[in-house]
Amino acid sequence: MNQYLSQVKAIIWKDFVTELKTRELFSSMFVFAVLVMLIFIFSINLSIVSASQVGPGVLWVAILFAGTLGLNRSFALEKENGCLQGLMLAPVDRSAIFFGKMLSNLAFLLIMEAFLLPVFMIFFNVDIGSHLAPLLAVIFMGTLGFSALGTLLSSLSSNLKTREIMLPILLYPLMVPIAIGSVQLTGQILDGKSLTDMMNWVGLILCFDIIFISASIMTIDHILEE
Amino acid sequence: MSDASQETDNPGYGLMGLTAAAVLAALGAIFIYVPTERTEGVVQRIMYFHVPSAWIAFFAFFIVFLCSILYLWKKEREWDIYAHASAEIGIVFCSLVLITGPLWAKPIWGVWWVWDARLTSTLVLWLIYVAYLMLRAQSEPGSTRAKYAAVIGIVGFLDIPLIHFSVLWWRTFHPDPKFITTQGIGTGNETSMNITLMVALAAFTLLYFLLMSLRVRLERMKDEIDRIRKERLYSH
Repeated sequence: MNQYLSQVKAIIWKDFVTELKTRELFSSMFVFAVLVMLIFIFSINLSIVSASQVGPGVLWVAILFAGTLGLNRSFALEKENGCLQGLMLAPVDRSAIFFGKMLSNLAFLLIMEAFLLPVFMIFFNVDIGSHLAPLLAVIFMGTLGFSALGTLLSSLSSNLKTREIMLPILLYPLMVPIAIGSVQLTGQILDGKSLTDMMNWVGLILCFDIIFISASIMTIDHILEE
Repeated sequence: MSDASQETDNPGYGLMGLTAAAVLAALGAIFIYVPTERTEGVVQRIMYFHVPSAWIAFFAFFIVFLCSILYLWKKEREWDIYAHASAEIGIVFCSLVLITGPLWAKPIWGVWWVWDARLTSTLVLWLIYVAYLMLRAQSEPGSTRAKYAAVIGIVGFLDIPLIHFSVLWWRTFHPDPKFITTQGIGTGNETSMNITLMVALAAFTLLYFLLMSLRVRLERMKDEIDRIRKERLYSH
């Protein structure tokens, strides 16, 4: 078990070192997310619709779009120079590779969201400070599900010729429960309701996380094969 | 070549005849036997196409799920063929649901489309399996493609209950299920309507199996041609 954990840690560490060297993933994800928000603000008349009603949707669309950018990059980087071959030749379990990639994707997304939230607060004039804890919990749960399914599908689509197109086409319809649930929860939290009133949504997102992490562990052996 | 074509040239006339009879019976029941519904008028007859199509779409996607699991387990080409054929048929019937739905909704609800739970989940389902077929179309034939498709077939079906509940809590306008209610099966409708619906369901189910057998046969012939072509290539 300890050995397994250290293998996962090594893969996460490798991803962070690569990112610190190249510095292309984080900056492009963040700038893209801000751009998505900006385009939405232009397309919505904020003097008619209240910001707290459309804000959560815009925030999650920005997160999902920027996250897709990151996921595409994550395995494309491994494909270049045959790094994925090297990873698979290493004497580690396939699920350790999956967990390593998933957790590093999750970490990058969470860091990106930490920078995005203040921008969101300023752009939409919403008060985040008073209900920060439940908001962070919801963002974490949603992002966990996104990176679990996203890592599985990007490991799959990275082997296709049209990987940049196929990843969102495969991913977005499957992400519907997370998209709806997270937007609903974020909206309710910004309205000042407590998480305990919406346990059905919390349960749904947690189910999504558990189902797709376990489905990934069971199927990743078939994807990372040759 | 002629040996191979004879071997696979068994269209299953029995099933074909049975399906033709069932479809004729269903058409007779829908357009002649069943009386016109009082409030909705003649447009209500679309239900006898709409509901069976929805049933076949869900059934077909369930078969994709089963065959995908069996493929990953046994690694036999047969299961991949079944999953592929079933997904294609499922998409055809899911498209029929999405076409007949708005045609029925426009005169009754006054709009083509509402973001109701069942409409939304059918649309999402359609998108998932269109992506599944696109994935198949864009990868090279072989065991890699079969494995990738199987993973999507499994993940896609596991997502269906989650999608169902998320859009259900999001909003719903659809009429409550009439046919299977809390009081039991078939208490919501008139008897003649139930009989017609049952006949239509049977006809559509037979049609599914007929299309399945034809599509599977076609795929096997393709494999056979590939095999013969390779044999020719290496024999020279």
